[in-house]
Amino acid sequence: MKFSWIFNGTLEAHHLAASYLAVWLIQGGYAAWIGWHWMHTKRPSSAAEPGLFTSEDDS
Amino acid sequence: MKRSRILGPVGFVWFVATVGIIAYATRLALFVAPTEATMGNVQRIFYYHVPTSMLSLLFPYVNFAASLCYLYWRRRDPLKALTADAVAISSAEVTVVYSSICLLTGMLWGRAAWGIWWTWDARLTSMLLLWLLYVSYLMLRKLSSTGQTHTLAAVLSVFAAIDVPIVYMSIQWWRTQHPAPVFGGGADSGIDPSMKPAFWFNVLGWAMWGIFILLLRYGLERRRQESEQDAALQAIEASLEIAQ
Repeated sequence: MKFSWIFNGTLEAHHLAASYLAVWLIQGGYAAWIGWHWMHTKRPSSAAEPGLFTSEDDS
Repeated sequence: MKRSRILGPVGFVWFVATVGIIAYATRLALFVAPTEATMGNVQRIFYYHVPTSMLSLLFPYVNFAASLCYLYWRRRDPLKALTADAVAISSAEVTVVYSSICLLTGMLWGRAAWGIWWTWDARLTSMLLLWLLYVSYLMLRKLSSTGQTHTLAAVLSVFAAIDVPIVYMSIQWWRTQHPAPVFGGGADSGIDPSMKPAFWFNVLGWAMWGIFILLLRYGLERRRQESEQDAALQAIEASLEIAQ
């Protein structure tokens, strides 16, 4: 499939492009929302050991 | 000064691998998989719609299991109960994200393939009900101010999980506008072998992404819980100092 097909102006093309974009926007938006709250949630002073997705760093 | 990062090394590697797999799966879906004979190119929505729909029926069970654990531990071991509660709210949010995508991509596909955005058939209605149940769960947790909010939410989640098998079986139990199951739906079900790589790579990629954001959200919730505990302890210490 040629990439230009997505922009050929048919309803099918618009809905296909909208579907893929909506998925990226919703998933990316949710991840960004988590990241924003992470930055704005006070780190507890009695923080536990770093887990799978978190770690501590001297700066 | 110590600073915490949102991603550790394992998380970073997982994130990069996930994004790579999703990019590759998207390329397969849009440019490599053959054009479907009846619907044409709009059928390519299938490669995002079906994997996210499958996953939107799996994450509720994480929420269900975590809620049962919360109900079991809430008096016996409050610290474990808090951990279970963090898993519960994380999985409920991920369920809402995936089921929103399922409904939205389904509507976009339905409008192009059937000529309608929505019909009140068993599959679509039961999926909408699932979405509403988990949105209600999150609203309850956000807006309720009683001391029993977490317990009420856990009980609601147990009831919400009952809708999952109904959604799954709806296209077998009732005649619906929605197509029959693609996999495990009898002799005529299944997809062309040339479409399978695009489909299964998308299942893998979006499952890895779901696990990634679930753990990320869990980390945030634990951080918030610990921060609240700290604030409560400091308030107690301050009040004791004033009393002395």
